[in-house]
Amino acid sequence: MFDFLQLVANENLKIYRRIRTWIMFGILVILVLAISLIARYMPGGGDGSGWSMMMTETFLLFIMVTIFTVVVSAETVAGEFTSGTIKLLLIRPWSRSKILLSKYISVMLFAFALAATLFVLGFGVNALLFGMGGAREEILAALGTNRDISPFSYMLAYYGFEFISLIMIVTVSFMISTVFRSGGLAIGLSLFFLMGGSVVTMLLMQLDYAWVDYLLLIHLDLTNYLIEPGFELRDGVTLGFSLGVLAAYYVLIIAVTWLVFNKRDVAT
Amino acid sequence: MEKLAPNGSIVQLKNVTKRIGRRTIIDDLSLDLPEAQVFGFLGPNGSGKTTTIRMMVGLMAMTEGDVIIRGHSVRDEFEKAIRHVGAIVENPEMYKYLSGYDNLLMFSRMIPGITRQRIDEVVELVGLKGRIHDKVRTYSLGMRQRLGVAQAIMHKPTLLILDEPTNGLDPAGIRELRDYLRKLAKEEGITVFVSSHLLSEMELMCDRVAIIQAGKLIDVRDIGQTADADGAGGAAFFFDVDKPEDALALLAGAHGAQAAEGGLAIVGGREAAADVNALLVRGGLRVYGIRMQNKSLEDQFLEMTGGERIV
Repeated sequence: MFDFLQLVANENLKIYRRIRTWIMFGILVILVLAISLIARYMPGGGDGSGWSMMMTETFLLFIMVTIFTVVVSAETVAGEFTSGTIKLLLIRPWSRSKILLSKYISVMLFAFALAATLFVLGFGVNALLFGMGGAREEILAALGTNRDISPFSYMLAYYGFEFISLIMIVTVSFMISTVFRSGGLAIGLSLFFLMGGSVVTMLLMQLDYAWVDYLLLIHLDLTNYLIEPGFELRDGVTLGFSLGVLAAYYVLIIAVTWLVFNKRDVAT
Repeated sequence: MEKLAPNGSIVQLKNVTKRIGRRTIIDDLSLDLPEAQVFGFLGPNGSGKTTTIRMMVGLMAMTEGDVIIRGHSVRDEFEKAIRHVGAIVENPEMYKYLSGYDNLLMFSRMIPGITRQRIDEVVELVGLKGRIHDKVRTYSLGMRQRLGVAQAIMHKPTLLILDEPTNGLDPAGIRELRDYLRKLAKEEGITVFVSSHLLSEMELMCDRVAIIQAGKLIDVRDIGQTADADGAGGAAFFFDVDKPEDALALLAGAHGAQAAEGGLAIVGGREAAADVNALLVRGGLRVYGIRMQNKSLEDQFLEMTGGERIV
């Protein structure tokens, strides 16, 4: 068969030809620059480490990366239904599964592009303004870990774990977008997961029931596992356990999404 | 691989049925579309035209039956069957934030073998050359319709499906589309399947029409054979006479004679008309003219469907 990548290229075109997308990148870039410049030049500032600035910005702005991706993801399927273009898209010699996959891949590529922008910019700007030197133990302590790894590896791991959470939330948004064909609902519910999630998690953590271990919500922040080797979120809930639970939910969400999209009668 | 059915039809609808819940939307519809014809699909609003088209292009699942396009089942070999289909289902919605050209470029990437040269050719053909690089947002409905036609014929389909294509077009646009569709059928051998509730439009455009009402196929007929002068009681004649009352009294209901504006009308073939004429002349009435009255498709359609009743 001919090239599946062409489908992904089409979906990318739909994302990057919209001004909205570039506004998102713009906001991210401006915020990184603003936070770093203010911290560097405000009275009494300017003596922090580049690493802890990068950490602060990541902590604040990775949420933006997730939100922006949720917005794009929520629109990618629901938007086609709203505009009616889904009809033209689905009468091509491609199975619905592949069309949906091309959309999913393009959303994930967008998330990766945003995250990479944040990482590269956060590292670059702060290296320039503050420098990335300093005693390793001090830096690691400032980053909040007892692990003995290089700050750079720590940051990469931190981004990796954040990205796993992002994938989960964005996939939920993608599912809602596909199942309910409503971008607004997809954005709203996913942001509830993102924002309300941590509050609900704190409450749930108080409960001593075993079933709490299997809830999606409590596994969405994996960065806790970076604090020290062998960290346990709850009694017996290790990193491996969390990843296992997430994987199970992921398979379920993806299965529902594809099943619904394949079976749906398009009557827009 | 690509085969015609024994009867020469390129598309076959076989007992296509759609049920949603307990409601039957399309009821056991079977239809053969011959090669290189403009085939009309006529029915009042809500009769199931769009639902049928949606099933033909795989947007909706069939409850029962199948659609075979060039030997491939839409149900089981969707990708092969749809390869030879171009369609506009309802309105030609395009990506408004992209230019007309980018829209075409995007769709061209989804089907192998469409060159840039072919895109230019199609743009020229539908007369959008001057505006093709503008955003679709700025297009009028007529221009969107043209762009819709462009994406539908870009890959040289053997079946072109257009759902209510004249909606929103001005009279000149309708005429142009009509001529163009006839040309596609005659010169390129494309089978064109057009749905409409505009009867007069269908009469001018199609070689054959299928009439559907409340999800059931009522009739399939060739256009141009509807007005048969010797048809068994089908034709009607109008007599322009000087004293219609006297004439009616004279005929006394023979051949279904009844008053009509400025004269009288009878039902019957040519022989009946000659007989009635002889009678009138012998009776001392002056006959100024005799006209055959063709029932238009519209009359027949209304007759068959009982008006624009939506069931």
